Amino acid sequence: MIEQLDALLAQLDALQERALRELEAINSSAELEDWDVRYLGRHRGELKNFSTLIPKLGKAERPVIGQKINAVKERLESALEARRQELRDRELREALERERLDVTLPGRAVPAGHMHPISRTILEVARIFTRMGFQVVQGPEVETDYYNFQALNIPADHPARDMQDTFWVVPGQILLRTQTSPMQIRVMQATRPPIRVIVPGKVFRHEAIDASHEAMFHQIEGLLVDEQCTMANLKGSLARFAREMFGEDRRVRFRGSYFPFTEPSAEVDIDCILCKGSGCRLCKYTGWLEVLGSGMVHPRVLREVGYDPRKYRGYAFGMGVERIAMLKYAIGEIRLFSGNDLRFLRQF
Amino acid sequence: MRVPLSWLKEYVEITQSPEELAHTLTMAGLEVEALDYVGADWGDRVITAQITHLEKVPGSDHLSYTRINTGSGEIGVICGAPNIKEGDKVPLALPGARLGDLTIGVARKMGYVSEGMLCSPRELGLGGDHSGIFILDPETPLGVKLADLLSDVVLEFAIKAHRGDLSSVIGIAREVAALTHKPLRLPEPRFREQGQPAAELVKVTVEDTELCPRYSARVIGGVNIGPSPGWMARRLLMAGMRPINLIVDITNYVMLEVGQPLHAFDYDLVREQHIIVRRARDGEEITTLDGVQRRLRGDMLLITDPQGPTAIAGVMGSAVSEVNEGTTRILLESANFKPVSIRRTAVALGLRTESSSRFEKGLDPELTVFGANRAAQLMAELAGGQVHPGIVDVYPRPVEQRTILFSPSEVEWLTGLKVTSRQVHDALSALEFKVEEVSAAADAAGGEQLLRVAVPTFRGDIEEGADLVEEVLRMIGYDQLPAIVPEGPLPESQSDHWFEREYEVREILIGLGLHEILTYAMTSRQRMLNLLAEVNARTAQVLLQKPADDGQAGWITAGTEASASSGNGVAADSKEPFEARSLPAVTITNPLSNELECMRLTLLSGLMETLQENSKRNRAGLRLFEIGRRYLPRGAGELPEERRCVGIALCGPAAISWVPELARPADFYDLKGVVEALLERLHIKRYRFTPVQHPIFHPGRSAVLEVERSGPDGGERFTPVGFLGEVHPLVQQRYDLPHRTYLCELDLETLYAAVPDRLSYAPISRHQELTRDLAVIVDQQVPARAVQEAIERHGGELLRTVALFDVYTGAPIPPGKKSLTYTLLYQAQDRTLTDAEANTLQEGIVAALREEFGAVLRS
Ligand SMILES: [Zn+2]
Repeated sequence: MIEQLDALLAQLDALQERALRELEAINSSAELEDWDVRYLGRHRGELKNFSTLIPKLGKAERPVIGQKINAVKERLESALEARRQELRDRELREALERERLDVTLPGRAVPAGHMHPISRTILEVARIFTRMGFQVVQGPEVETDYYNFQALNIPADHPARDMQDTFWVVPGQILLRTQTSPMQIRVMQATRPPIRVIVPGKVFRHEAIDASHEAMFHQIEGLLVDEQCTMANLKGSLARFAREMFGEDRRVRFRGSYFPFTEPSAEVDIDCILCKGSGCRLCKYTGWLEVLGSGMVHPRVLREVGYDPRKYRGYAFGMGVERIAMLKYAIGEIRLFSGNDLRFLRQF
Repeated sequence: MRVPLSWLKEYVEITQSPEELAHTLTMAGLEVEALDYVGADWGDRVITAQITHLEKVPGSDHLSYTRINTGSGEIGVICGAPNIKEGDKVPLALPGARLGDLTIGVARKMGYVSEGMLCSPRELGLGGDHSGIFILDPETPLGVKLADLLSDVVLEFAIKAHRGDLSSVIGIAREVAALTHKPLRLPEPRFREQGQPAAELVKVTVEDTELCPRYSARVIGGVNIGPSPGWMARRLLMAGMRPINLIVDITNYVMLEVGQPLHAFDYDLVREQHIIVRRARDGEEITTLDGVQRRLRGDMLLITDPQGPTAIAGVMGSAVSEVNEGTTRILLESANFKPVSIRRTAVALGLRTESSSRFEKGLDPELTVFGANRAAQLMAELAGGQVHPGIVDVYPRPVEQRTILFSPSEVEWLTGLKVTSRQVHDALSALEFKVEEVSAAADAAGGEQLLRVAVPTFRGDIEEGADLVEEVLRMIGYDQLPAIVPEGPLPESQSDHWFEREYEVREILIGLGLHEILTYAMTSRQRMLNLLAEVNARTAQVLLQKPADDGQAGWITAGTEASASSGNGVAADSKEPFEARSLPAVTITNPLSNELECMRLTLLSGLMETLQENSKRNRAGLRLFEIGRRYLPRGAGELPEERRCVGIALCGPAAISWVPELARPADFYDLKGVVEALLERLHIKRYRFTPVQHPIFHPGRSAVLEVERSGPDGGERFTPVGFLGEVHPLVQQRYDLPHRTYLCELDLETLYAAVPDRLSYAPISRHQELTRDLAVIVDQQVPARAVQEAIERHGGELLRTVALFDVYTGAPIPPGKKSLTYTLLYQAQDRTLTDAEANTLQEGIVAALREEFGAVLRS
């Protein structure tokens, strides 16, 4: 009986060894299921065949064989489970591999629009001044001679009208505004100090169009009137504007100038953004760039709107938006703004 | 104005370099626009030389061959100028010299060898004269570098409109003297007067002393009319004028020097030796020195003699009594004219001269005698003239010197710059203001020191305290101003919010993938009419339409007869041929071109033209918008109505893409989707699109957008906001567009009237929602909107949402029918709906659709 027992145990060992070897070679779930049936099948599995021998064994051998069968069964089952997991992992890996995308293909375009550089520049300027308590207002683009000229101390036949060649709708009466300054008058008439407004908008000049002149362009007017404003405040406001618009280290220079509706008047320059003041073509080798005109509101203008110039003081300034944008974005040609070439617009 | 530095130095000592001087003046408000370094390119290859021999080149009608003494030898030079003769001293550019873009070499021409070039003033950079060679003074040494004799730096000034006094070398010198603390050295005209007094030789009558406040005249006899001396010719050239003859040159020289325009008449050609200054008679004519015959108006001032006009006062003379080669006696005019009159005349005649541009900025009447004397002195010294004693001077109301009571504290009050009374005193005195301390007024001004400031007569621009503040600031320096961010009180709201609204729309459309463009507000009627498939009086009306408060009536549908009766200024008869100019628009009376003759009535023509331009070089489609104004004319003399609008244009695929859906050309529903997204972002919930006939669009593919807003009676009504559609194929063709094109124009003011003032939150129901699909078959012609509205109406408040998710035609749907499939969502706010309730509602809807549209349920 011992011999028989030993022989059985040896057969079980051999079975286990053969089963594990076969399992090792299996590469698909179908084969795996075959293997499962062949070795661990409840009905005709090889291990089951051994169990059917147990009743024929002696009382002492039965548990030995039983335990051995269980040990082999556990071993095979765990090996099967491990193999199954391995195969599942591999199949998933292979499935994912088959789904590989070319991530360098362009994405499905969600069209993205662009703001016109003039709108963008106006917005930037407006934000800087609204942070200083200014409000943004707009005005009519077709204006009267009174608001555009007379109320601003530019009577008919004043030589200053030469600086602003005019498109006339009704000669002498109605015109396309040559500047945003008429809104100084409209705002001062419509409200009382304190006033802090900026006025962006279109303006028109009867000029031959070339690389640096446009018949229609944009300006931003600024007006501050209260009982304590001085020209030092004008300089303070514009210095801050220049730093925020053109860079923290920008320097601002005031120099004498003439505008009929300000007194004293000042031209405002910033040090050249390209050469930092050492001189280059952009600044015509002066180291400075002219950015805007400004001054203290002329007493005649204050009297025109019924303000007492001994009580109220104010400053005003006006800048060309195209000029600011050309400096800021290094654009050499003013006609690009009205050209609306998408190759230009897409850059903003 | 061009001022040679060497000339300026005659009146004031200059120790600064030209660049430093330019900076000093620029900072003080006299902007130096450029420095012209005359002679910088001459080097040692441009020298003085003399013509020793001259012969005509055979076979040429203008070339001469000259032998030239270079001081160290003799060379041959071919020259084409007409004004040279043997013995003339001339500038010679030797081979290797570079003048501007020109490099001189040895040339062989018509059998001669030319070893250099004789130079004209223009070739030397001495002004624009190119009519002949620049002839040098006879005393000029030979063979020296021209640069040693003639090089100079010319300051180019832009003289501001209020400072007529600066239009002269002395005027600039006065500022230099004040700014650099140097004395001003004025010339003192001295000459001997002899012969018969001027008052016996000439009579002056000024009929209009308003337009001519002063007329001073001198008589100078025995003058020789020859060429000017070299130094004077050179100064005139560098200042930008052309030497003509000695007498004319002296008048120009004195004008440049002291700023007083002068006119020299041939005394013997002034009929009856009587000068009459009067207004022209309407239609009176004069031929000015430039050879142009000009018709005059009654408000123009003339210089005349008893037989007729001899000059347009302050603008230009005529040939009648012009100085000529035979002239021996000069009647010299030195007058003052009213700026407005001179300007108006010069503008009306299109004739701006050195003289008129000075007068129109305002000149000092006190300057006439100084100018006349200076010219008389030069005529005596240079032309051998005898100056007759005395000046005939008509000056009925001598100008009064203005005085201003000024407190030095005004400087700080206006500028924030602290200054002492002494500084103010010094600054103003340097500029020749007479400053006097006023002690008597001290109490009245609260113990403050007051100054009585007498303004020099040449400073007509100084009228009040603020003007003096600027003068002080110019002298002390704008760079001394402190920079202080304003601290004053902040204003109440003064904004109308349109800036914010326009940017809101801008950001939304950019987010939807549209590019912003900015086109000219000026266009032409023809360019706008190009938008219409068929142009007639009726279709043209759509360009003038605007949303009306009374609903649909203002929005004409051009295909309907109803429109014909709506008067909008256009004669409404489609049979009549339509002329572009009969389209009412804001007309520019002096346009730059016919393409820019009026203000736009629509943004759409600019959009279409931009599409056209860009489509030439763009394979991808175009998605554009513009925010701007339409300018609708109102009554004569009234400002137009400016309506804020947005225009949108789509043409072609959204992108060049490997994704087929994106490469699909845009269609009507792409445009409508953009508009709906805009409405959604603006929280406008109540709106509708209705089919419309519109002459820009495909008759079956255009709609008017209406939004619901409160009417004047408080009730809600739909108001048109604008239209959208597929551009009519004829119009698309006209603009050469490669794809079907979609346009939309919305009136932003009407649109924003429908934007809720505030948003309020509706609680989200926590009760279960039930969904039911509904597929119905209806006639093709039934608008989807009608079906949707019927479903909403019959679903009642328990029907939360209705969404169309399929539109289908084709088998098995019968021809002429379409299938619409919706998903309906039922939900109650306060309880859980039962299936039975939802089914009942659904059945009610189906029954209503059957009733209203003959709809059949699709199984
Ligand atoms: Zn630079």
